[in-house]
Amino acid sequence: MPPAPINRRSMLGGVTVLAALGLLSACSGPGAQLEFDTSGPPQKGGTLRVGITGGSSADTLDAHTATNQGDYARTQNLYECLATRDREYKLRMRLADSIEPNDTATVWTVKLRSGVKFSNGRPLEPEDVIASFKRITDPDNPGTGAAGLATLDKVVKTGPTTVEFRLKAPNSIFDDTLSQVDNNIVPRDYDPDEPVGTGPFMLDSFEPGQQTTLVRNPHYWDGEPYLDQVQLLNFNDDDAVINALLSSQVDCVAAIPMALVKVIEADPRMKILDSVTGRWLPLTMRVDQKPFDDKRVRQAFRLVVDRQQMIDQVLSGYGTIGNDIFAPMDPEGPKFPQRTRDVEKAKQLLADAGYPDGLSVELVTAPINPGVVESAQVYAQQAKDAGITVTIKRVDSTTFYGEGNYLSYPFSQSFWNTKNFLPQADQCTVKASPFNETHWNDADYNELLAKSKAALDPAQRKKHMEAAQRMLYDDGGYIIWGFANNVDAYQSYVVGLETSASGYPLGRYAFAKVWIGDVK
Amino acid sequence: MNTRTDMNAQDPARDRAQNAAADPAKESASAHVSAVRRVWALREGRTGIILTGLVLLISVFGPLLAQPLTGFGPTEFADKPFQDSGIFGTDDLGRSVAARFLAGGLRLLCYSVLATALGLALGALLGIFAAYAGGVVDQIIMRINDVLLAIPQLVFALLAITVLGTHGWVLVTVIGITHAPRVARVARAATLGVIGEDYIRAAEMYAVPRWRIVVQEIAPNITGPLSVEAGLRLTYSIGTIASLSFLGLGMQPPVADWGLMINENRIALSVQPWGVLLPVAAIAVLTIGTNLLADAIARATANTNVEA
Repeated sequence: MPPAPINRRSMLGGVTVLAALGLLSACSGPGAQLEFDTSGPPQKGGTLRVGITGGSSADTLDAHTATNQGDYARTQNLYECLATRDREYKLRMRLADSIEPNDTATVWTVKLRSGVKFSNGRPLEPEDVIASFKRITDPDNPGTGAAGLATLDKVVKTGPTTVEFRLKAPNSIFDDTLSQVDNNIVPRDYDPDEPVGTGPFMLDSFEPGQQTTLVRNPHYWDGEPYLDQVQLLNFNDDDAVINALLSSQVDCVAAIPMALVKVIEADPRMKILDSVTGRWLPLTMRVDQKPFDDKRVRQAFRLVVDRQQMIDQVLSGYGTIGNDIFAPMDPEGPKFPQRTRDVEKAKQLLADAGYPDGLSVELVTAPINPGVVESAQVYAQQAKDAGITVTIKRVDSTTFYGEGNYLSYPFSQSFWNTKNFLPQADQCTVKASPFNETHWNDADYNELLAKSKAALDPAQRKKHMEAAQRMLYDDGGYIIWGFANNVDAYQSYVVGLETSASGYPLGRYAFAKVWIGDVK
Repeated sequence: MNTRTDMNAQDPARDRAQNAAADPAKESASAHVSAVRRVWALREGRTGIILTGLVLLISVFGPLLAQPLTGFGPTEFADKPFQDSGIFGTDDLGRSVAARFLAGGLRLLCYSVLATALGLALGALLGIFAAYAGGVVDQIIMRINDVLLAIPQLVFALLAITVLGTHGWVLVTVIGITHAPRVARVARAATLGVIGEDYIRAAEMYAVPRWRIVVQEIAPNITGPLSVEAGLRLTYSIGTIASLSFLGLGMQPPVADWGLMINENRIALSVQPWGVLLPVAAIAVLTIGTNLLADAIARATANTNVEA
């Protein structure tokens, strides 16, 4: 019998595989290193190429309807708000000099910063602010920020540099609303196709889903940016964008997969920007539907979570543990005892609720944000120990958000960026909320929210807010196991990128103070 | 490929028929034993049997061995994601790649075999019926068949799964149905080669019911070309199901599955290649193995002179 040719073939195959592995590891290994001078002073000029995953033909330049990462990268650099949240999530004035409430928090007076000009050279005036908020709250075509402005009655000019925001109900945190990223100020004759704003950069060219080129705004009020140009490049998936970074086709990447952080960190050419944020990826239980209408079931489902394991497996350790309440960055947030895993108690609660032999539920998931599908799988594994069988139903993102699907799932998932308690509560815990995923609707709770909003005294407000959050902590429908960091990667010659608690990548796309170091 | 099988189809049937006429009592048993020997005697037959057998062993016994060999179940967490711990490291959620690899083949194999069996049964039924009925019925069935053949298999599967959901029975049914028209062509050609034979005529003369002629006389005499076709369809089933799982429309997480594993771990190909390479290698070996085996069966049944 002749020797089978498979031997030679398999050996050749093996050699090929080994060679391929060698090549792969060579890619990430240290090669000839260029040294860069990043000590300063900042160098003027150059182009920053930013890799962003996602993007489609529906990408927009509109200041008020941004949805995906690319949209926010554009709007954050083209436009600005009256106020903003800094990298530690503290409120800072931007286009406003001051934002002050009256005694009942029903009228807020905004004094505009002097010397601010739009990118076409025209100065910022109260009429522009009025037009901007009219555009956001346009009932026929509301902007993303409209939900937070439901109590806004009208905006009135009261002087050459002052406007008044008159509200229908007291709102002691309206300055926070004005700092939300979707409430950008645009000129009164704004046209999203020819976008003019007060941001550090202005538009040069825009191909939806492909790339955007921004150039320095010569009229920028807060110190001219160092960079000549920012190129925002869209990539279809994480693989492509990481490869582009490793082959130096981009200078920085917005939000890399956590599992790859260690590898990229080990590459001496790369640096990591690791921001602790308030971004949460909750599991959502509908409190008005079986079996979650019984609060003992909800409590049991919260008790089976091993929160540290969730952080380790889903986020590779890049996150902070959650305690089933949101808004960890809110300085007025309460400190409740940390909930930990207790399978026995969970079993007991389930037995009391009429499920002594455990129960089966379907968890609808979709890749709506990095880590969502992964956390569903880890949760299913953890819940097994308490006799809970979680069947994962994975759909695509379009189906997940489809008409009649989203907000109807008894057990599902969601994601949110950093917000303080009250604005977040408006978004997802009252009947009128646009995204009330858990269908939470409680009269006492609503009253506590109203009281909190009416209280200008921080101590008073904190007391009401704590009572409201206690209700969510005890009986709510969210399983908030943790808060994900945002991790970006950039080439070591890029200087000036800073962390941000906002949950948006690359320090919330802050490129105004970024510069590129020369080769030494 | 169909043309070649069609041509071969007539010969084994005749040989078989002659064998049967010569020694009817020993027909089936001896034919099978010698067929296996003849396949083994061929180089690609041996290779095919060894490769297929290897992956078969892993898929069947893997799920039992995963826990004792690696210390972890296929859905248990061993370490943080994409670490080097264990034999082949961890996957995107920190589960043992080795455990998931061992446990990931059985479903793929079962679904593929079931889909192939369904396609074969449906296709053979249609093909034999069309050939034996002849005339207008034959024309209608085969022209409809041609229309179905024009629809790409994977696209049809994607459509059906999007509409009906990602259940196991949907996968098996859809892939089985898309196989049927391809099998029907082969079955029809093979049947046409048989129905002119004397023993069929004899059976008809004795007024044996037609369904009994199909079952007792025609079906056993076209097993040669059909078994070749079965091998080919199995190869396609494996490829299609693995592709669907890769696209997220086949097996659902957290089930361990080779196609799914490729998708889950491809992002770390440069860091932890085993999570992708192992399932890729297994699927490749399995499809190549079954393909070689199908070729060998075709040659062995076509040419009885291959030495045992």
